[in-house]
Amino acid sequence: MNYSDREVDIIVADGFNELGYKQKKLFLASVKADNAEREKFAAALIKTAGEGVYNKLKEKFFDDARRKIVLEKLSKRNVVCVTVKSENYPYKLAQTPVPPLVLYLRGNQTLLSRRMFGVVGSRKTSPQIMEECKRLCEQLSEHVAVVTGVADGGDSAAARGAMKNGRAVCVLPGGHDSNSAPNPKLLKRVEENGLSVSEYPPETPIPKHLFGMRNRIIAGLADGVLVVSAGEKSGALSTAAYAADYSRDVFAFPYSIGAEPGKGCNKLIKNGAGLCESADDILSSLGIKVESKRSDILLDEGEKAVLDALRAEGEMHAEALAQKLGLKLTDLLTTCSLLEIKGMVIRVGGNAFAALQ
Amino acid sequence: MLSKITSYALVGLEGVPVEVETDINKGMVSYDLVGLPDAAVKESKERVFSAIRNSVLRFPVNKITVNLAPADIKKEGSQYDLPIAISLLAASGQLEADVNGVVMLGELALDGGLRPVSGILPILISAKGKGFKKFIVPCGNANEASYIEGIEVYALKNLKEAFAFLSGESFQPVEVKSFEAAKRKTSYNCDLSLVRGQAVAKRALEIAVAGGHNILLSGPPGTGKTMLARCIPTIMPDMTFDEALEVTKILSVSGELGEEGIVSLRPFRTPHHTATTVSLCGGGNNKIKAGEISKAHRGVLFLDELPEYSRSALEALRQPLEDGKITVTRAGGAITFPADFILCASMNPCPCGNFGSKERNCTCTPAQIRRYRGKISGPLLDRIDLQVEVDAVKYEELAGVSVGESSAEVKKRVERARLIQRERFNGDDGVTVNADMGERQIKEYCKLSPECESILRAAFERLRLSARARARIIKVARTIADLDSSAEIRPNHILEASSYRNFDSTADL
Repeated sequence: MNYSDREVDIIVADGFNELGYKQKKLFLASVKADNAEREKFAAALIKTAGEGVYNKLKEKFFDDARRKIVLEKLSKRNVVCVTVKSENYPYKLAQTPVPPLVLYLRGNQTLLSRRMFGVVGSRKTSPQIMEECKRLCEQLSEHVAVVTGVADGGDSAAARGAMKNGRAVCVLPGGHDSNSAPNPKLLKRVEENGLSVSEYPPETPIPKHLFGMRNRIIAGLADGVLVVSAGEKSGALSTAAYAADYSRDVFAFPYSIGAEPGKGCNKLIKNGAGLCESADDILSSLGIKVESKRSDILLDEGEKAVLDALRAEGEMHAEALAQKLGLKLTDLLTTCSLLEIKGMVIRVGGNAFAALQ
Repeated sequence: MLSKITSYALVGLEGVPVEVETDINKGMVSYDLVGLPDAAVKESKERVFSAIRNSVLRFPVNKITVNLAPADIKKEGSQYDLPIAISLLAASGQLEADVNGVVMLGELALDGGLRPVSGILPILISAKGKGFKKFIVPCGNANEASYIEGIEVYALKNLKEAFAFLSGESFQPVEVKSFEAAKRKTSYNCDLSLVRGQAVAKRALEIAVAGGHNILLSGPPGTGKTMLARCIPTIMPDMTFDEALEVTKILSVSGELGEEGIVSLRPFRTPHHTATTVSLCGGGNNKIKAGEISKAHRGVLFLDELPEYSRSALEALRQPLEDGKITVTRAGGAITFPADFILCASMNPCPCGNFGSKERNCTCTPAQIRRYRGKISGPLLDRIDLQVEVDAVKYEELAGVSVGESSAEVKKRVERARLIQRERFNGDDGVTVNADMGERQIKEYCKLSPECESILRAAFERLRLSARARARIIKVARTIADLDSSAEIRPNHILEASSYRNFDSTADL
């Protein structure tokens, strides 16, 4: 990978853990050769960081050998950088108030120039919503890339769905090799079938107090954000808040009254978020038209009866369902298994079933 | 003077004849007991002394040597009191009788009474095999001794009676009882019809018992997992006399045999989750004892809260689950105990127990749940063919659910399915039930039609089943087909079987 000098400047400065975001910007301004007001920026930085630190960093910064090592390390780790001054830096993200100076990427970088849509959810997501989310993301990813996190629950369901079309973009809370993902296997598959993004150099551990910071990247990269599940204080809500700040569209799955994992979603809808039931709701807001291709064709009479009953009742216990349809329990289990294989229903725990859209 | 009496020692579940030799000679007055006796046997000296004196007989005052032969087997337990006493009396010339061919067992009380000892049944069976016909046992062991035909067992009250019997007085031998009568007297104290709702789990139990499959019940606390498990013995076919003897032998050696003297109900063992590997599998320093898995032989081993058991204890179950027996090896030797049982395990779906529940919220993170489930290793899960969820739904919500079938009705279907299996395998490689099938038998007896194959393949892709789930699903499908009296496995059997696998596809939580 070839970087321009300016890009290398930014990459090297971004690796200075001693400095904060603003300080890094000041530092870059102070060492830029063609900047007339360099001294002013240097003075501002010295005020906050101290002269000793500044001089030391400056020495480090201009050390050519060290610069080479930084780049070598990155390429050895298979990480590609896109800086805020690079041509291929996503323009939507660049327009946000605090765009990451460098995006560290692993996987298919061409995704970065695609249209993206954010899908996030809390860790506690019911199996049914996980399946719906996965399916929705699979449909979305036929048209746009899906950007999400790597946490358990809604995020990983979204990643799994989008992965099928090779368009999953996961934003990590820490560096690539800091074991920041709760699910390293999933992350590995994402990197093979999509892209993982971080604003930190590969070995940086997750900065705990800044866990929510990566949410601004998800919101910043995306054209809009869908929240599939969120409790009252879920992190997914912070992504939605960033999205609203950046004037992106916000969507949420609707939940029934009082459902704990959906309180946040319903609050979003109350506050004006779009109600999303299927991929069409989102795609149409993105101006993409899709032919609907729902396929009940393959079902026989018995399967249709079960499916209709589940659609009418929502979630239903196997025994109650058998009784309602006048079926023997074993026959019902057989039919439900078949529908499960066909992807029309899902088990939701406690021997209850629910229909999928 | 020298005398010899026959008694028996127990090695594992087998009896070994022990000669009790007593020599009384002139010399310094002493009383020695040799022949590798343990503490309980050594103490018999004092009991024998008092018992003889208090039975108005004379204790010889000479140099006495008692030897228990063969000297290389460790003698344990108190059953040698009676033979030692009798041999002392014979050696001192007080008892003049032919004691050849009479096997004596019993612990003496200080007043000369005979106390029951453990392990009578396996000893009787072994001794009968060796050709012994006459036995003297304590009257407390009469019931246990009364189920074996072709031998004369005299159940006596005290040393005096034994003395009188050997002197020629006639006593009535123990009457042989029939196993059928004993069976009629006992019954299980639970029944499937008492479990309300839970039709899915009940059906799974039926399949498990019909095919001898192990089963895992998962569900929130208080949903009746234990009650369901307790019903498993009630739907198992009645024990045959031979099976009952096997079970009784083990309990007899462990000293856990009840009043009636024979076990006619299938055992149901519930070791607590603090159980150690040794207590589950058997072991011990001097005397190797049977563990819980052997005591559950021909019955059910119920492990409540499976993930709470120590990892090593669970892993130790793998080999006996495969072989139906366990060989316990210690420095003192190796002993094989039978351990052919149905494993029924139960667990909560997550550490807090509320995952999947509608009323209460689960407070566990997905990572916690993964860790909790990960405590049960893949190879162990491999041996549990059926994994079912027990409903978290309240009974009231299932208004109008009909009262379930009684255990007796289910048992009839189970027996029919077992009969089909017995005829099919016909003793092939020791396989008697579907769960025992290996790769070869699956290939031979579980041919799948192209339609079934394609359904199975679709199920695998869709439900992301692990490769090891395949054989499991086929075996269960075979059992379902047997319950259905169907010669070949049909698609609906495969589909139903694949619905009892809720642990195989939890890859993404």
